[in-house]
Amino acid sequence: MSESLKIRTESLEIAQKYQPKRRYLLAILQDIQKHYNYLPAEAMETVARYLSVPLVKVYGMATFYKAFSLTPKGKYIIKVCDGTACHIKGSVNLLDEVKMILGIEPGQTTDDGLFSLETVACIGACGLAPVAVINDEYHGNLTPASLRQILEQYQGGMKDAK
Amino acid sequence: MQIIINGKTYAANPGEKILDVARRNRVEIPTLCHSEALPGLASCRLCMVEVHEGGRTQEVAACTYPVTDGMEVVTDSEMITAKRKILLALYNLIAPDSERIKGLMARYHVEPFDRLQADAENKCILCGLCVKACEELGTNAISTLFRGTKKKIGTAFEQPAAECIGCGSCASVCPTQAIEMTEADGKRTIWDKTFELLRCQDCGEYYTTPEALAHVRQKLGDTVGNIEELELCDYCKSRRAAEKLKNGLRLNELFDATVK
Repeated sequence: MSESLKIRTESLEIAQKYQPKRRYLLAILQDIQKHYNYLPAEAMETVARYLSVPLVKVYGMATFYKAFSLTPKGKYIIKVCDGTACHIKGSVNLLDEVKMILGIEPGQTTDDGLFSLETVACIGACGLAPVAVINDEYHGNLTPASLRQILEQYQGGMKDAK
Repeated sequence: MQIIINGKTYAANPGEKILDVARRNRVEIPTLCHSEALPGLASCRLCMVEVHEGGRTQEVAACTYPVTDGMEVVTDSEMITAKRKILLALYNLIAPDSERIKGLMARYHVEPFDRLQADAENKCILCGLCVKACEELGTNAISTLFRGTKKKIGTAFEQPAAECIGCGSCASVCPTQAIEMTEADGKRTIWDKTFELLRCQDCGEYYTTPEALAHVRQKLGDTVGNIEELELCDYCKSRRAAEKLKNGLRLNELFDATVK
């Protein structure tokens, strides 16, 4: 089976968990994003056909929400919080540390496909500032040095992707 | 039922919008995103008016706000005029080349904002009228994409769209001529897709694409989808309609003469 056909078959299976109604578009796209770590073009076409929604509307929604990505994201998504509390507590230093270790800017993914870097406005854990979230795991009271240690654990495969 | 606009009383019908009553009575309310054929967008906010109703005052978009009996509308209060000026000056920064916006600025004595940089390349004010036209008349080939400062109008994946039939509805409704549509050598190019053009069966001018004609036929169905007039340009269509009307009137004359 070709890669493209595989994506079409898989994404149809994901979509078919929902009734073919327009209001499920967002939910289906979220599931697809979770499955592939991005939204492949073939998957968007499949969903558009399944829901009888114009393809351009699917693309419009995919480009509207920050939670969706049109290019493959890394296995681990590092979200460095840059809300007010984290900013004051030195989130910029954390960000610089990650940029230096991984050589990527926010919004980018490492060449080995392991990490993506993002900044978020506030994750509501200001008491733990400065905070970073890697996949679904929260890391609080970080320093550049402690963040480096955590990243090394992920790089060494000591943490499982969630 | 009656409504009062700027102190004068006008007749209105239930279900009508403030703008409908105002336009019918030549009361000026400026609009950019309004099209009689595609009403209800209310995105440009130029038609904002003041409404006094049931002891409350609010600012509403005249193009979508329904009339109620005895409602009082003010189209040129100090607040409305001031906001309209700001809106126009901002639209002028977004689409500095638009003649329509420049015309409205002159009409309402708006000074351009000189402390802000105009977006020289841009013509689109993101009102969404083209998207609505494509939904209603075309084939859902375009939509708003991205968000915030990157928001734009485009096709899926910003590639030539399979859905696009080259009807040009989007370009023709655009208030700022932001959608590029070029025609040369019997070909039309729009949204990076090129179409052959068909000739009008009467005058021989190019007038539409085969895809757009097929779409219209399909929409109209078997009963009227095959009428000859579909193969005519707008001008020849109106001319034929006028001729029919004229001939019809002549029949009435004949009828009158015979009966009398």
